[in-house]
Amino acid sequence: MSAETLHASASATMTSKASFAAEQRRAARRRRGRIIAVQLLILVAFLLMWEFLPKVGWLSDRLTFLDPYFISSPSEIWATLGDLASGRDNSPEMWPFARATVEASLIGTFLGTVLGAGAGLVLSNSRMLSDVLRPFIIALNAVPRIALIPIIVIIFGPTMKASVFTAITVVFFVVFFNAYEGGRTVPPQVLENARLLGASKTQLMWRVRWPHVLAWTVTALPNAVSFGLVSVVTAEILTGTVGMGRLLLDSVTTVQASLTFAVVVVLSILGIVLVAIAEVIQRRWLHWWAQGD
Amino acid sequence: MVATAQDAGSAAPGAAAGAVDRSRGGSAPVASLRNVSFTYPNGTEAVRDISLEIEDGRILGVCGPSGCGKSSLLALLAEIRHPTAGEITWSPDPLASRPGAQPRHPLSMVFQKDTLLPWLTVEANVRFFQTLNKERRADVDELIPELLELTRLREFANAYPYQLSGGMRRRLAFITAMAAQPRLLLLDEPFSALDEPTRIAIHQDVLDIVRRLGTTVVLVTHDLAEAVSLCDEVVILAARPGRVAARHPVPFGRERKVMELRERPEFLELYGRLWHDLSVQIRDAQERQDER
Repeated sequence: MSAETLHASASATMTSKASFAAEQRRAARRRRGRIIAVQLLILVAFLLMWEFLPKVGWLSDRLTFLDPYFISSPSEIWATLGDLASGRDNSPEMWPFARATVEASLIGTFLGTVLGAGAGLVLSNSRMLSDVLRPFIIALNAVPRIALIPIIVIIFGPTMKASVFTAITVVFFVVFFNAYEGGRTVPPQVLENARLLGASKTQLMWRVRWPHVLAWTVTALPNAVSFGLVSVVTAEILTGTVGMGRLLLDSVTTVQASLTFAVVVVLSILGIVLVAIAEVIQRRWLHWWAQGD
Repeated sequence: MVATAQDAGSAAPGAAAGAVDRSRGGSAPVASLRNVSFTYPNGTEAVRDISLEIEDGRILGVCGPSGCGKSSLLALLAEIRHPTAGEITWSPDPLASRPGAQPRHPLSMVFQKDTLLPWLTVEANVRFFQTLNKERRADVDELIPELLELTRLREFANAYPYQLSGGMRRRLAFITAMAAQPRLLLLDEPFSALDEPTRIAIHQDVLDIVRRLGTTVVLVTHDLAEAVSLCDEVVILAARPGRVAARHPVPFGRERKVMELRERPEFLELYGRLWHDLSVQIRDAQERQDER
């Protein structure tokens, strides 16, 4: 075979590989497009039913959950969202409330994650410590955190600190159990190899276990963020401190269905944004983790 | 490898110790096992009364039926486990007393399962030893690019292990162990998961690097052709509990071309003798299992 023929053959192979990859990308785009279209269709159908079914008199008369007084309607909720954003029509402006909730959630989630990952690392690295402390941690995790909120309020007062501390108590356990498992699942031959290469116990912890702990911690991050947000809102409802929880409490006590749903929508959007940020961190830091498996 | 008085009687016919190439080795043994036995805490006797001397700069192969204690023997040498009877003694490193000589790390191991750190790049994996032993920074610094070059991994220095093929990952595991410049390298069936052509290519890399650095090696393998290709002597262990059943010096010298070696009639002849001894042990193990 001549050099030209070889070159032509290699070029043809490369071209066919490139076109195959392009076709794969197009197929993936088409699939994503179909999924989004179906998701939009479901959402629009749901919103249309929500908007118009309660307007059918004989139906809302018979079924309480279709009474517009209790479930409002998407158009009303949309209008209320506009009022919340601008503070029109004697509506409270939501931004100070949202900022307080986001702040408390982020601080609580961050501290809970750091403490949970640290505890998971230390306990997974020491069998003695793990054997001694693990039963206490499991027992503490079984305590419903809502039951602790009154004590937290007594200690910190009805302040943002109470919300942050509540988030820490929830997020800590979510992260700890993941981090601990991460540290324990390091393959024994990897530890043995590092030991033979001269790693001390501290080096084993930081250079071999820690990346595994970090990977499992980051994997738990979307869940931790969700739990952090939910626990802050719960604390705000129970303590009445400034935040979306307080807004929710006010709307429920004054039976303003549109305001209640508007607050829920804002909280959902906050949750989606925070979880998306956590997922971006996960993808950036854990490319070796996802690909390696 | 020197047969002890106890083992001499079990040496295969025609396997004269003088046939072994001793151009590099022949000095004091790196380690001596004297009547070493090991029983697991659950009562399983892994090895019994093994006496061996592991000579400096040579490659010792250990073969035997499944479960005969080959890996336990490596664990004893690596001090992952400790003998329940007998003793393992280590001689001082002769290189350490030579002026200007670099100190050698006592021991490293290539495991059958993956030990690469997936969050580190290829080069960072090879430098892992260096990060653990800061006082060895300078001498390892020079060796690492050379090892990457010799194993054709230099252009993948910034890749991650998940981006490598199976053969490349094994080569990387090998040079990660060699970067420590160990006095004794333990290989625990490191290439068993690879296809034949990839395995043979890696054998040549292993031989070239190990000979160049004068590393002493103990290779545990199921693959007799691998043992003949790489080793200066092959020990066949009896079925559990592992005992030295036969010893075969490999008379192919230090500079070998593995691809060519496999075509030589002497290779096939030695392979046949090893297989004969191993098959006796396999049959024995099966018979004992049937009796149970």
